Amino acid sequence: MAVLIDAMHALSVLNVLLLAGLGYVWGRNFYRFRSKHTLGLLVFAVLLLAENALAIYLFVFNPDLTVWINTASLVPPIAQRAMLALRALEFAGIVFLTWVTWD
Amino acid sequence: MEAVLWYVLTGTRGGTNRVRILRALDERPRNANQLAEDLELDYKTVRHHLDVLEDNGVLQDSGDDYGAIYLPTDQARHHWDTVEEIIEQVE
Repeated sequence: MAVLIDAMHALSVLNVLLLAGLGYVWGRNFYRFRSKHTLGLLVFAVLLLAENALAIYLFVFNPDLTVWINTASLVPPIAQRAMLALRALEFAGIVFLTWVTWD
Repeated sequence: MEAVLWYVLTGTRGGTNRVRILRALDERPRNANQLAEDLELDYKTVRHHLDVLEDNGVLQDSGDDYGAIYLPTDQARHHWDTVEEIIEQVE
Protein backbone atom coordinates (compact mmCIF):
# COMPACT_ATOMS: atom_id res chain seq x y z
CA MET A 1 0.00 0.00 0.00
CA ALA A 2 3.07 2.25 -0.07
CA VAL A 3 1.97 3.18 -3.58
CA LEU A 4 -1.00 5.14 -2.17
CA ILE A 5 1.31 7.15 0.08
CA ASP A 6 3.68 7.76 -2.84
CA ALA A 7 0.78 8.95 -5.00
CA MET A 8 -0.27 11.34 -2.24
CA HIS A 9 3.26 12.76 -2.06
CA ALA A 10 3.41 13.12 -5.86
CA LEU A 11 0.09 15.00 -5.93
CA SER A 12 1.32 17.36 -3.20
CA VAL A 13 4.42 18.15 -5.28
CA LEU A 14 2.33 18.69 -8.43
CA ASN A 15 -0.01 20.97 -6.45
CA VAL A 16 2.96 23.06 -5.29
CA LEU A 17 4.24 23.39 -8.88
CA LEU A 18 0.85 24.40 -10.32
CA LEU A 19 0.21 26.84 -7.45
CA ALA A 20 3.65 28.40 -7.96
CA GLY A 21 2.67 28.99 -11.62
CA LEU A 22 -0.70 30.45 -10.64
CA GLY A 23 0.93 32.57 -7.94
CA TYR A 24 3.36 33.92 -10.55
CA VAL A 25 0.55 34.94 -12.94
CA TRP A 26 -1.64 36.45 -10.22
CA GLY A 27 1.30 38.06 -8.44
CA ARG A 28 2.43 39.72 -11.67
CA ASN A 29 -1.12 40.87 -12.37
CA PHE A 30 -1.53 42.20 -8.84
CA TYR A 31 1.73 44.14 -9.17
CA ARG A 32 0.31 45.72 -12.33
CA PHE A 33 -3.38 46.19 -11.48
CA ARG A 34 -3.53 46.38 -7.67
CA SER A 35 -7.09 45.07 -7.82
CA LYS A 36 -8.89 43.42 -4.92
CA HIS A 37 -9.91 40.56 -7.22
CA THR A 38 -6.30 39.73 -8.14
CA LEU A 39 -5.16 40.11 -4.53
CA GLY A 40 -7.78 37.55 -3.52
CA LEU A 41 -6.51 35.08 -6.13
CA LEU A 42 -2.89 35.68 -5.06
CA VAL A 43 -3.60 35.16 -1.35
CA PHE A 44 -5.58 32.01 -2.19
CA ALA A 45 -2.65 30.60 -4.22
CA VAL A 46 -0.09 31.44 -1.53
CA LEU A 47 -2.12 29.86 1.28
CA LEU A 48 -2.91 26.69 -0.68
CA LEU A 49 0.76 26.47 -1.68
CA ALA A 50 1.71 26.75 2.00
CA GLU A 51 -0.78 24.00 2.84
CA ASN A 52 0.76 21.63 0.28
CA ALA A 53 4.33 22.53 1.27
CA LEU A 54 3.44 21.84 4.90
CA ALA A 55 1.92 18.49 3.87
CA ILE A 56 5.17 17.56 2.11
CA TYR A 57 7.19 18.54 5.16
CA LEU A 58 4.96 16.68 7.60
CA PHE A 59 4.56 13.51 5.55
CA VAL A 60 8.04 13.27 3.97
CA PHE A 61 10.57 15.08 6.17
CA ASN A 62 9.18 15.39 9.69
CA PRO A 63 11.03 12.66 11.67
CA ASP A 64 8.10 11.67 13.91
CA LEU A 65 5.17 11.82 11.52
CA THR A 66 6.92 10.14 8.56
CA VAL A 67 7.66 7.04 10.62
CA TRP A 68 4.01 6.87 11.58
CA ILE A 69 2.71 7.56 8.03
CA ASN A 70 5.03 5.02 6.40
CA THR A 71 4.15 2.15 8.70
CA ALA A 72 1.26 0.27 7.11
CA SER A 73 0.10 -1.27 10.38
CA LEU A 74 -0.34 2.17 11.91
CA VAL A 75 -2.11 3.71 8.90
CA PRO A 76 -4.48 1.12 7.39
CA PRO A 77 -5.33 1.24 3.65
CA ILE A 78 -8.70 2.88 4.25
CA ALA A 79 -6.99 5.86 5.90
CA GLN A 80 -4.41 6.01 3.09
CA ARG A 81 -7.18 6.01 0.48
CA ALA A 82 -8.96 8.79 2.36
CA MET A 83 -5.81 10.97 2.43
CA LEU A 84 -5.17 10.27 -1.26
CA ALA A 85 -8.77 11.14 -2.20
CA LEU A 86 -8.49 14.56 -0.53
CA ARG A 87 -5.23 15.32 -2.39
CA ALA A 88 -6.68 14.05 -5.69
CA LEU A 89 -9.75 16.30 -5.42
CA GLU A 90 -7.58 19.28 -4.57
CA PHE A 91 -5.30 18.50 -7.52
CA ALA A 92 -8.28 18.28 -9.93
CA GLY A 93 -9.52 21.67 -8.72
CA ILE A 94 -6.12 23.30 -9.16
CA VAL A 95 -5.65 21.78 -12.64
CA PHE A 96 -8.98 23.25 -13.72
CA LEU A 97 -8.13 26.65 -12.26
CA THR A 98 -4.76 26.58 -14.06
CA TRP A 99 -6.52 25.80 -17.34
CA VAL A 100 -8.84 28.83 -17.08
CA THR A 101 -6.07 31.13 -15.85
CA TRP A 102 -3.54 30.24 -18.57
CA ASP A 103 -5.72 31.99 -21.16
CA MET B 1 -20.36 42.08 -16.10
CA GLU B 2 -18.05 43.78 -13.61
CA ALA B 3 -16.88 40.41 -12.27
CA VAL B 4 -16.26 39.25 -15.85
CA LEU B 5 -14.17 42.34 -16.56
CA TRP B 6 -12.05 41.89 -13.44
CA TYR B 7 -11.55 38.21 -14.22
CA VAL B 8 -10.82 38.49 -17.94
CA LEU B 9 -8.55 41.55 -17.60
CA THR B 10 -6.76 40.95 -14.28
CA GLY B 11 -7.24 37.29 -13.34
CA THR B 12 -5.60 35.60 -16.32
CA ARG B 13 -2.19 35.33 -17.92
CA GLY B 14 -3.10 37.41 -20.99
CA GLY B 15 -4.81 40.19 -18.99
CA THR B 16 -2.31 42.96 -19.70
CA ASN B 17 -2.46 42.51 -23.47
CA ARG B 18 -6.27 42.38 -23.32
CA VAL B 19 -6.27 45.72 -21.52
CA ARG B 20 -4.06 47.18 -24.28
CA ILE B 21 -6.40 45.80 -26.96
CA LEU B 22 -9.46 47.22 -25.20
CA ARG B 23 -7.84 50.64 -24.82
CA ALA B 24 -6.91 50.68 -28.53
CA LEU B 25 -10.43 49.68 -29.59
CA ASP B 26 -11.89 52.37 -27.34
CA GLU B 27 -9.84 54.99 -29.22
CA ARG B 28 -11.14 53.67 -32.53
CA PRO B 29 -12.46 50.31 -33.75
CA ARG B 30 -9.88 48.26 -35.70
CA ASN B 31 -9.49 44.82 -37.21
CA ALA B 32 -7.19 42.08 -35.91
CA ASN B 33 -4.40 42.95 -38.37
CA GLN B 34 -4.33 46.61 -37.41
CA LEU B 35 -4.35 45.69 -33.72
CA ALA B 36 -1.41 43.33 -34.15
CA GLU B 37 0.52 46.03 -36.00
CA ASP B 38 -0.39 48.94 -33.70
CA LEU B 39 0.31 47.01 -30.49
CA GLU B 40 3.30 45.08 -31.89
CA LEU B 41 1.73 41.75 -30.97
CA ASP B 42 1.67 38.44 -32.81
CA TYR B 43 -1.42 38.16 -35.05
CA LYS B 44 -2.42 34.80 -33.53
CA THR B 45 -2.09 36.23 -30.01
CA VAL B 46 -4.40 39.10 -30.95
CA ARG B 47 -6.90 36.68 -32.51
CA HIS B 48 -6.93 34.58 -29.33
CA HIS B 49 -7.53 37.60 -27.08
CA LEU B 50 -10.26 38.92 -29.39
CA ASP B 51 -12.03 35.56 -29.25
CA VAL B 52 -11.84 35.46 -25.44
CA LEU B 53 -13.15 39.02 -25.14
CA GLU B 54 -15.98 38.23 -27.57
CA ASP B 55 -16.88 35.01 -25.73
CA ASN B 56 -17.16 37.03 -22.53
CA GLY B 57 -19.37 39.68 -24.11
CA VAL B 58 -16.81 42.48 -23.86
CA LEU B 59 -16.27 42.93 -27.62
CA GLN B 60 -18.37 42.49 -30.73
CA ASP B 61 -17.27 42.33 -34.39
CA SER B 62 -18.73 43.71 -37.58
CA GLY B 63 -19.04 40.22 -39.06
CA ASP B 64 -16.92 40.74 -42.19
CA ASP B 65 -14.81 37.58 -41.77
CA TYR B 66 -11.16 38.42 -42.30
CA GLY B 67 -11.45 42.18 -42.12
CA ALA B 68 -13.95 42.25 -39.25
CA ILE B 69 -13.76 45.40 -37.15
CA TYR B 70 -13.92 44.99 -33.37
CA LEU B 71 -15.55 47.36 -30.89
CA PRO B 72 -16.76 47.24 -27.26
CA THR B 73 -20.29 45.88 -26.67
CA ASP B 74 -23.05 48.06 -25.17
CA GLN B 75 -22.74 45.95 -22.05
CA ALA B 76 -19.02 46.77 -21.75
CA ARG B 77 -19.75 50.46 -22.46
CA HIS B 78 -22.29 50.38 -19.66
CA HIS B 79 -19.52 49.31 -17.26
CA TRP B 80 -16.79 51.38 -18.84
CA ASP B 81 -15.86 53.02 -15.52
CA THR B 82 -14.65 49.60 -14.37
CA VAL B 83 -12.63 49.20 -17.57
CA GLU B 84 -11.11 52.65 -17.08
CA GLU B 85 -10.26 51.85 -13.47
CA ILE B 86 -8.30 48.83 -14.72
CA ILE B 87 -6.73 50.67 -17.69
CA GLU B 88 -5.46 53.46 -15.43
CA GLN B 89 -3.44 50.96 -13.42
CA VAL B 90 -1.57 49.76 -16.50
CA GLU B 91 -0.50 53.19 -17.73
